[in-house]
Amino acid sequence: MIRQALTALRRAITGVWDDIKASTDASLLGLARFVGLLYGPIDRSLSIDQALRKSLRYRLAPHVGWRHALGSITYLLFIVLVITGVLLAIFYRPSVQEAYPSIQHIVSETPFGWLARDLHHWSANLIVIVLLMHMARVFFEAAYKPPRETNWLIGIVLLFVVLLFGGTGYLLPWDQWSYWTLTEVMTAISSVPMVGRRMAEAVMGDVIPSGATLSRFFALHVIVLPWIAFALLGYHFTLVRRRGIAPPMNVEGERRRWKRSGRFSPDGQPKEGTPFYPNHLLRSFIVALVTVAIAITLAILYPRVLADPADPYTVPETLVSTWVPVDVSLALIRLAGTWGFVLFSLLGVSLILIPLLDRGPARKLRERPVVAVLGLAFFIGYVGLWIAGRVIGAVAPSESLGTGVVAEQPVPRPPSVPLPDGTRAEPSPAPESQREGGVR
Amino acid sequence: MSRRRLIAAIGGLVLLPPVAVGRLAGQGGPVTQDESTYGCIVCHADMRRAFAQGAHAERGIRCHSCHGGDTTQVEIPAAHRGRFLGAPSKRATIDLCASCHSDPNQMRQYGLAADQLAEFRTSRHGELLLARGNDDAPTCIDCHEAHTIRPANDARSMVHPTNIPRTCGRCHDDAALMQKYGLSVDQLSRFMAGAHGKAIFEDRNFAAPTCIGCHGSHAALPPNVTETAHVCGKCHVLLADALYAGPHGTPSLTGSISGCLGCHTNHGTERLPPEQISELCVTCHAAESSMATLGQEIEDQVLHARGELELAAEAIARMVNTGRDVADERFRYRAAYTAYQQLAKVQHSLDLEQLEDLGREVRSNAAVVRSTAEAYAEERWEHNLLLLPVWFLTLSGVTFAAFKLRELGRAGHG
Repeated sequence: MIRQALTALRRAITGVWDDIKASTDASLLGLARFVGLLYGPIDRSLSIDQALRKSLRYRLAPHVGWRHALGSITYLLFIVLVITGVLLAIFYRPSVQEAYPSIQHIVSETPFGWLARDLHHWSANLIVIVLLMHMARVFFEAAYKPPRETNWLIGIVLLFVVLLFGGTGYLLPWDQWSYWTLTEVMTAISSVPMVGRRMAEAVMGDVIPSGATLSRFFALHVIVLPWIAFALLGYHFTLVRRRGIAPPMNVEGERRRWKRSGRFSPDGQPKEGTPFYPNHLLRSFIVALVTVAIAITLAILYPRVLADPADPYTVPETLVSTWVPVDVSLALIRLAGTWGFVLFSLLGVSLILIPLLDRGPARKLRERPVVAVLGLAFFIGYVGLWIAGRVIGAVAPSESLGTGVVAEQPVPRPPSVPLPDGTRAEPSPAPESQREGGVR
Repeated sequence: MSRRRLIAAIGGLVLLPPVAVGRLAGQGGPVTQDESTYGCIVCHADMRRAFAQGAHAERGIRCHSCHGGDTTQVEIPAAHRGRFLGAPSKRATIDLCASCHSDPNQMRQYGLAADQLAEFRTSRHGELLLARGNDDAPTCIDCHEAHTIRPANDARSMVHPTNIPRTCGRCHDDAALMQKYGLSVDQLSRFMAGAHGKAIFEDRNFAAPTCIGCHGSHAALPPNVTETAHVCGKCHVLLADALYAGPHGTPSLTGSISGCLGCHTNHGTERLPPEQISELCVTCHAAESSMATLGQEIEDQVLHARGELELAAEAIARMVNTGRDVADERFRYRAAYTAYQQLAKVQHSLDLEQLEDLGREVRSNAAVVRSTAEAYAEERWEHNLLLLPVWFLTLSGVTFAAFKLRELGRAGHG
């Protein structure tokens, strides 16, 4: 009985070992191949290798160049955000009492925690910039035209997802800037007639930003939105492969070709063009290296300054923007007022609707002047406002903010250290050196 | 029913509900007459409304309690007969209020003192009004209002800490009135700009004194020169002790120097900048005297300590901005700050040795904070070194990939 069991065990082990040996000529890699990490039995049975080879052999049209890497950079930054976000989530504690101290712990106690946080912060800024550059390329090259209009809309939804990511993540440091910036936004939403107040309270889960707000923003940021983003990204990439990359702008009549063939995928493999492997993979490699290096450099040289812990009883003297869309909003409201903000937002929304209206074959900018003007107004306006927002840097909170709350403050609360002359030292809004450093 | 009775009935119905609610809530006093037939309110509804908001209405006091008359009547001649007082004179007001407020048996139940009249007699106001019959002097209702008399802890009361400066200012800010008595009218503005005014109106610190904190309320008088240190010392106990312990103590008590007011102002109560200590000393002492030198040494000690504290505060702010937990440093700073505050006390005793000890304590604690901040800044600067491997690897990778791409292009695969 025992002998039979031992024999069966020996045969099983021998079988596994034979499989390992059969799958590789280097036994150290065999285990990896056996469990599917490298080419091995699993790949053979599932034809993964064929799919991989097909992808690597895939040829991209000759006009596909460096400017097409913007989408890849966006995806790379998303992955950087996911990785650094997971690292941060290990140490971050989403509660009113612990959020700020946990950030301090990450920055000053956790090994390379500062790098994870600042890289996360900078990637969140860079992704907005690169995403808009990607959109601008698609827009001006008319790559949104049929049959790719669905992918344009998916891209727009992804943009909103990125903005939601940023909006929910903005509060998580739970410092005075993030707290009162959100309060400003919620006050603005509350002022919308009829529904504003209900909307703001539904978002916050309370009448002011509180622990309830922090919990739901954290849940949205790390649980809900990543699933939505990955699903949309998968769909986005699938459509890129199925519809193919848009042909150069001087090629006309593509839509007629689609209609005639009745197919929604490219006519087989392109015969011309450069192969994805190694040419485009090398380009992606270069772009990825430079992007990550730039993000790390910015993270090292311009770390995100932390303000005082959030205090609902004390309105800070200044609100400092730490995210590109906040810079833009800040500049818009300061320079053009609330109506300017609304009109610019409407201009942005009009870009979403353009693919539904602009479905003709014309792709050159001269042939679609309205679209070109709208696009230029939005993208140049966005860059201009972003720069203006960086120059403005910090603004005083609205006078309406918290005046009632302050009047009800029962005991004066020292915000920081008392100075010898009887005043109190507030942490500086932002060192000048950091304001000059482009985005933060 | 006559027309006046009809009006009285309607007026009563209008005014009854708030009173009835007050009674239901257990705030009302004994009911002596139905509100609907209370004659005074027919003509004096506005005063009744004001009175209903005050403390007396809650105690069951009615118009006739002070003004007399027949409240069952609504015709003026009938209502204003008997022991009718009408609007009393200033002098009569004192007696009227004192009829209850000087009676300990009546005041005991409300926890109020019954010495207001006795105190008032000792005041300058009392002297003017009672001894000289001068109606410029205020009577009870000038500070407490005639009908809407609220307790002092009610923020709407004229004698609430936030309202007292303006209540006193109604007369003491009146240049024409004060000119008659040779008084200046800058007290209110100076008080508001001074440390005490800021404490009350900016920090909402009601422990800070208003006019009555130093002058008294009913017994309002300016303190004598010899009393000044005692008046200030009621709150600034440690500073007063230090002053008495030092060389200025005895002259202050004997009146040869004016105590606290020798260096500080009374209504302004501005903080004295440390830079002015030595200048202040030479206003009394000769410039080359040993006391002037001592003043300079005290000033140097205080300024040095303040400079160190400011640097430590900046260091803490920098660490906060970079996300470091600064609980230890704040604790250390607090120790330095406490020693700095003690400097303020000791400089009143002119004890240079003790000042030097405290200065050392400030400097040593502040230095620890600064050295921690410098070490942390150095640690953060070392992050920059990470740029070397990052860019070395990046440029190596980019160079390799670029060569490979070039090679592919030359081979015709690009």
